[in-house]
Amino acid sequence: MLKPRYGIGAVLALGVLTGAAFAQDKPVAGGVKEGSLEGKTLTFVSYGGIYQDGQTAALKEFVDKSGVKLLNDGPTEIAKLQAQVESGNVTWDVVDTDDLPPYVYCGKLFQKLDLTKLDVSKIPEGQVGECSVPAMNYGVVLMYNKEKYKDNPPKSWADFFDTEKFPGVRGIDGSGSPTGGLLEQAFKYAGGDPRSMTVADIDKAIDVVRKLGPDTIFWKTGAESQQLAESGEADMLMMWTGRAMTAVKNGAKYAPAWQDWLVVMDQMTIPVGVKDTDAAYALLNAYLGKNAQEILTEKTSYTPINSEAQPKVDASVAAFLTNTPERQKQGYKQNFKFWVPNFAVAQEKWSALMAGN
Amino acid sequence: MSALEPTTPSALQRAGWAWRSYALTLPALLLLVAVIGYPLLTIVLRSLSEPQWGLQNYAWFFGAPVNLTVLQRTFTISAWVTVVCVLCAYPYAYLMTAVGPRVRLVLVLCVLIPFWVSGVVRTLSWVILLQDSGVINSLLRSAGFDGVRLIRTQTGVVIGMAQVLLPFMILPLYSVMKGIDLRLVQAARSLGARPSRAFFTVYLPLSLPGVYAGAIIVFILALGFYITPALLGGPRSTMLSTLVQTQVLSLLQWGRGGAMGVVLLIATFVLLALAAPVMRSRYRDAGRR
Repeated sequence: MLKPRYGIGAVLALGVLTGAAFAQDKPVAGGVKEGSLEGKTLTFVSYGGIYQDGQTAALKEFVDKSGVKLLNDGPTEIAKLQAQVESGNVTWDVVDTDDLPPYVYCGKLFQKLDLTKLDVSKIPEGQVGECSVPAMNYGVVLMYNKEKYKDNPPKSWADFFDTEKFPGVRGIDGSGSPTGGLLEQAFKYAGGDPRSMTVADIDKAIDVVRKLGPDTIFWKTGAESQQLAESGEADMLMMWTGRAMTAVKNGAKYAPAWQDWLVVMDQMTIPVGVKDTDAAYALLNAYLGKNAQEILTEKTSYTPINSEAQPKVDASVAAFLTNTPERQKQGYKQNFKFWVPNFAVAQEKWSALMAGN
Repeated sequence: MSALEPTTPSALQRAGWAWRSYALTLPALLLLVAVIGYPLLTIVLRSLSEPQWGLQNYAWFFGAPVNLTVLQRTFTISAWVTVVCVLCAYPYAYLMTAVGPRVRLVLVLCVLIPFWVSGVVRTLSWVILLQDSGVINSLLRSAGFDGVRLIRTQTGVVIGMAQVLLPFMILPLYSVMKGIDLRLVQAARSLGARPSRAFFTVYLPLSLPGVYAGAIIVFILALGFYITPALLGGPRSTMLSTLVQTQVLSLLQWGRGGAMGVVLLIATFVLLALAAPVMRSRYRDAGRR
């Protein structure tokens, strides 16, 4: 006899709760509740430099309104995060990572995101992961020396890999992990179809890169790639758009070949075991806002991930933003489904190439 | 006899002093245990226990040709760095013993000032000097020579590392050399030895302890170098530390990274154990002459 009443009570309670939740909590990107995080502290981890300064500036409104105390730490190292998660003492609340880690370690190091707590409606299509939202967009673009190639510039990655038609020194991202998109382009050059790549094909792709010869420069840092362009030491360079933009601004006589530029993003994540998950969500949601993204782009020249953002930037920056319809059409997205399970194999083989083998 | 007694410590007293002097080393010992012993133990344990107990990480290390190539290269580069350091430091340290105090101060400062500058900054200045469009190559070209490839080569890495490690060679050498009685060389000369003979049979053997001390420090420090080979080197000058970094930081393979560290450590011990008898005999010879 008691059962029905309990049931009704529960239903009523649920109704009230969800109603309340909807009424006050349907999140809007960029929305911050006044004083909601008073007395709380969040640690935001990213890669330092101009980038993290820009992110901090983008989060200023969130800090001011919510009353949270924001600490910055970095650079992001997955190994450090792993140590925190394993020891059960996670001090990093929101972590900016590379493309792949949130997919590789989803559920292990990074929380599966509850999308009812975030407004992801303004994020470009296909960029929200199970454990991540994008932090910003940029590209890996083929930059070539205008003076060297004059009337016959390289137009695609195929030209980049063709040392006979396009002699010259190549510069490749050797900062650590392989770039999936580049290996797919290399595999395509070797005659394969990147969309049906198998593990054995990784070797074929890496061989294409190896055949570029002993002159090839594997740059270790973005700054080095920029310096290679400014000093003219490499004739063709695989570059991050931010660095390419700065190099051209500083007078490097290089131009981009946009066809199949590789779409890359940084990811925003919440580690497993953070002390205040809701506060971390609040930060993410504020970060995704239109204003925050405009500030981010204006400070860092990275492409915003809120489609409504209208950052005010000068022409040199605008030339390297990747969210225009034209660029979106030319972009090449790596085959995430392939690289996530094969990340370790690819890294192993890439490291061997990096070590001169 | 009884007058002598107070100055001759009893066995018990001597034991007491010995204990007290051991006790004085306690802070250093504790520090070493905390910052070296414990982490080292952790590394060894993790290399044996991740992902499960066993020798799989070591089997992996010796099964991958790239690891062995890079291990060998790490030792080769470190050996070259040591040779370059000895050749550069020896005359420099000798000069420090031969000049007056004021010039010596300048010489000491020249050694120490770069030592106070961060390694990254020094390495980046080497980039500016060594790169294809850098200072050295510009000078060569303006003098009518062909440019040389220095950056991203082993030569470049050896030059950069030798500069960073030079103080570790000069200082021990100098401290030994300044204790050498130069009258011994004069005596050799007055007995009819040519300067080269006096140097090779008298001065050089007496200075060898300094060479060995410096060489061991430089060699061991060089084995673990990371920043300099990463920035000045190319694929063919990658050292083991870079591979460790990849395993730990991007693949989260702590066990493999640990195994690489342990292999490097053991290889170093073996090498030093092989070198020790040679050095010991030289010490003896130096004493006899």
